[in-house]
Amino acid sequence: MSDTLNLTLKVWRQAGPDQPGEFRVYQLSDVSPDMSFLEMLDVLNEQLLAQGEEPVAFDHDCREGICGCCGLVINGQPHGPLRETTTCQLYMRHFKDGDTIVIEPWRAAAFPVVKDLIVDRTPLDRIIAAGGYVSVNTGQAPDGNAIPVPQEVAEKALDAAACIGCGACVAACKNASAMLFVSAKVSHLALLPQGHPERKKRVLSMVSQMDAEGFGACTNTYECEAACPEGVSITNIARLNREYFKALFA
Amino acid sequence: MNWLVQGLSSSVGKKFVMGVTGLLLCGFLAMHLAGNLLLYVGEETYNAYAHALHSQEWLIKIAEVVLLVLFVGHIALALVLTQENQAARPIDYATRQSKKDTPVLIITPDNWMFVSGVIVLLFLLLHLSEFAWNIWLTEAVKGKEPFEKARIILTDPLSTFVYIVGPAVLGFHLWHGFASAFQSLGLNHEKYTPLITWLGIIFAVLVAVGFASFPIWAWATMETL
Amino acid sequence: MVQVKEGTLDSKVPDGPITEKWDRRRNELKLISPTNKRKFEIIVVGTGLAGASAAASLAELGYNVKAFCIQDSPRRAHSIAAQGGINAAKNYPNDGDSIWRLFYDTVKGGDFRSREANVYRLAQVSNHIIDHCVAQGVPFAREYGGLLANRTFGGALVSRTFYCRGQTGQQLLLGAYSALMRQVHLGKVTLYPRHEMLDLIVVNGTARGIITRDLISGKLEAHTGHAVLLCTGGYGNVFYLSTNAKASNVTAAWRCHKRGAFFANPCFTQIHPTCIPVSGSYQSKLTLMSESLRNDGRVWVPKKKGDTRHPNDIPEEERDYYLERRYPAYGNMVPRDVASRAAKERCDAGYGVGSTGMAVYLDFKDALQRDGVDVIRSKYGNLFDMYLKITNENPYEVPMRIYPAVHYTMGGLWVDYHLQSTIPGLFVLGEANFSDHGANRLGASALMQGLADGYFIIPYTLGDYLAATTLEPVSPDDAAFQDGIKEAEGRLRKILDVDGTESTTSLHRQLGQIMWNHCGMARTEQGLKEARDQIRELRERFWTSVRVLGGPQTLNQSLEYAGRVADFLEFAELMVVDALHRKESCGCHFREEYQTEDNEALRDDENFCYVAAWEFHGVGEDPTLHKEPLTFQEVPLTTRSYK
Repeated sequence: MSDTLNLTLKVWRQAGPDQPGEFRVYQLSDVSPDMSFLEMLDVLNEQLLAQGEEPVAFDHDCREGICGCCGLVINGQPHGPLRETTTCQLYMRHFKDGDTIVIEPWRAAAFPVVKDLIVDRTPLDRIIAAGGYVSVNTGQAPDGNAIPVPQEVAEKALDAAACIGCGACVAACKNASAMLFVSAKVSHLALLPQGHPERKKRVLSMVSQMDAEGFGACTNTYECEAACPEGVSITNIARLNREYFKALFA
Repeated sequence: MNWLVQGLSSSVGKKFVMGVTGLLLCGFLAMHLAGNLLLYVGEETYNAYAHALHSQEWLIKIAEVVLLVLFVGHIALALVLTQENQAARPIDYATRQSKKDTPVLIITPDNWMFVSGVIVLLFLLLHLSEFAWNIWLTEAVKGKEPFEKARIILTDPLSTFVYIVGPAVLGFHLWHGFASAFQSLGLNHEKYTPLITWLGIIFAVLVAVGFASFPIWAWATMETL
Repeated sequence: MVQVKEGTLDSKVPDGPITEKWDRRRNELKLISPTNKRKFEIIVVGTGLAGASAAASLAELGYNVKAFCIQDSPRRAHSIAAQGGINAAKNYPNDGDSIWRLFYDTVKGGDFRSREANVYRLAQVSNHIIDHCVAQGVPFAREYGGLLANRTFGGALVSRTFYCRGQTGQQLLLGAYSALMRQVHLGKVTLYPRHEMLDLIVVNGTARGIITRDLISGKLEAHTGHAVLLCTGGYGNVFYLSTNAKASNVTAAWRCHKRGAFFANPCFTQIHPTCIPVSGSYQSKLTLMSESLRNDGRVWVPKKKGDTRHPNDIPEEERDYYLERRYPAYGNMVPRDVASRAAKERCDAGYGVGSTGMAVYLDFKDALQRDGVDVIRSKYGNLFDMYLKITNENPYEVPMRIYPAVHYTMGGLWVDYHLQSTIPGLFVLGEANFSDHGANRLGASALMQGLADGYFIIPYTLGDYLAATTLEPVSPDDAAFQDGIKEAEGRLRKILDVDGTESTTSLHRQLGQIMWNHCGMARTEQGLKEARDQIRELRERFWTSVRVLGGPQTLNQSLEYAGRVADFLEFAELMVVDALHRKESCGCHFREEYQTEDNEALRDDENFCYVAAWEFHGVGEDPTLHKEPLTFQEVPLTTRSYK
């Protein structure tokens, strides 16, 4: 492969939620282009450890783009420059030797910084708890084939259900709106017949929880869609709106 | 009615109201533009149209109230939403870069809706103070027929500037606003949304060019007076 | 010399014909009235498929549940990363499948080292799982007529795998997670995200609570309950490089083992044949490419040793489709252990490809020609994209390079038919237990087992335990809990106080090397003995030279990690001891000394047809081996053949 990279990293460091944060600048040399972005941070952390500085805290887990743990704003872009890519699936071959990379946490009032690059995303869980499910108890289900679901409907539902809950949509939105996240779950369940009995109650309570968490409103700038690592479409937001008005007026 | 107030005051509800008021205002703009285009048909037609319109006192009153409600609703919600949206991100990023495809316009309308809205509002206030409230350029247009009044106002240097910049910014506002309203109302369809987006852009350009053409026409026809 | 005990383990398998065992047992199990269920608090550790489904189902029944996970959200448990699918004996494709065949394939696939009764029950409830998941809104793949679609997985000649593109685990977990969150909303489940279990508290011989560390504040907490459900997944990260998530660890299971729960078959670890090969020393994890790819991809290496030509330049007649050659009946769809060993065999013989020579090709050329790009993209699009992102090579144009990697651990805490460990009140579900997969797990069976345990087994068996047991009230202030906190505190302090020079990552990587070299795809007596010494030496090094910065009373990822690696260093030795004692080859456990003439695993049913459950006596001390004999009445013991 090509030569290694020398990089300047500007990393947000913040000891705790109530402490002030600041950017610190680190030099990192001999970065392999075949490293993932998080592996590059691993190397930085090893370097910091050797120098006696506490490693940079960042969320990560599966490192294959599905758990939704990782999420950094890289040079002003959630999950970095590539479309439909999580931070862990971003490789250093997309950077150039000599680059300066600014690394920040998700920023939103609803996502307070816990430490360094880690934020608190529990509001997303609370939104799901407000109604992002089908109320079916174990043991009640009819045969799986009892209700046919047209293939394209199932596929569309999966397109929405593919959301990994990383919060990049919130991070990308200038209003820190969680509309894409909420709409993905509302759409997934509104499309499938199994989700129909509760669709009105679901959309109203999920939107109300979303508002209570302090997310902004959608102004249809569609940055969320562009930043979404799963390519969840903003047509889901329109569906959310539709579901909401149907529930409200019908 | 509690359900309605509650439902419409959520983030989704507010956007719904923004969309509805915005689209209705677009309708008003279309009518207004159509009426103004009569300037090009001729002095008599325009004056006749203006007098006919103003003779419908009740209609005017109702229209004014409706318009007032639409404007106030649209503007008040814009203020509330902008404030809430800013509160949703108290600390901004050090740098910010879009991940969207390169936009058609270098300055993207969707990120400047509040600013463009404020400029349109200022334009509107000046427009009303000249044509409706008669508190600006009062002397020059005293006793003039509508056609003449329009030409006099539009050839005032300050007004000329405002009546070119104002519609341009209005078009800029509509570039995003028109199609965006449909999305807020939940009207998004893979077949029709591209059409709506283009319609919005065409409408925005028509409104901007249409209204901005009047001061240019006024200047161009000055010598013939 | 390890001490051996027999007859100490009661598997509680019901009598009667295998088809009736579970029904019979369900009718015998004691019940608890709905009003009394409210009086019980159940601790569930882990929120993967097993944990989330158990927590939700128990809360639905009326129990009060406390659910713990180390991630910031229960939705991020590693079950989410499962790609391919979930098996069920629905026989929707009308291709001759049945509960009995699923059972048969699973027992055979496990190379006759699993408990027949458990496997049969798993096959029985598999159909209910599909029904339940569909009802939850899991968007399974559908045929054009709107009915559920199936695909084929390794080790089976029927199509019984249900799937959601290449993200089945995600969708099933989100289904279980949503059920869990519904109970959170209803107040029946209290959620403790970013909490790590550091110890099990046993009072009067029964599991009564756990010690956790709040990973944000660093605070150690004691939680009491009437039973503890351990759903903490597998220990594949003992190899450092694996397909597991970075946070997957053995700590919770190991703590329970140290408190008296026997650990069964720890050496049974599955090496998955289709993973993206290692590219450099900085590599932090390996990425799986779903087994479903073998439905359409053909595995090959060049016929010539050290052939460095571009794969597309190697003509058909110079390619060795070695799986199709060696196993004509199953071809590319042989079970994972067989496919992995065959790849290793080719690479060791010098036919490997890629810059390291440690890879084989998985080629879609024929499938692309046959079905077209669109069909292939609709089946595997996300996997192909993932491959492209990682390797910068386009699998639509160039064959994928793959190599086996550690993926799943069949071993785990020993449990009886009720999923109860050797500590009463401690139940173990999902990958964390040992029960259903024997020496090798078939593809699309892990999701099935996790959900079977959580949705359909523990709700019955837990009630029986609670109804039959008198439990004294306990409080977090009791000495047992306070001592547990002090112990955990001491351990963290001890790690921080070493203040050496080596990073945890470096030590972990060295452990991984030892395990991969000596306790990986092929094992020898000599190698395992060396490994044991090396592990001990490394463990000593850890406690004298590890360097962890920061304090205990704050979010400290380095400290969390060091604690987990410290436990891996203890656990690894048990794995090696187990591999050393099992002088046979079976499934994924391949002892080079015991193989057939054509290099297949050679089982020794005479001497090793048992579950090896180990009892802990102290770090570095020989554990006691308890044998649970395995009898095969339904599926006669035969040599597995996929030819």
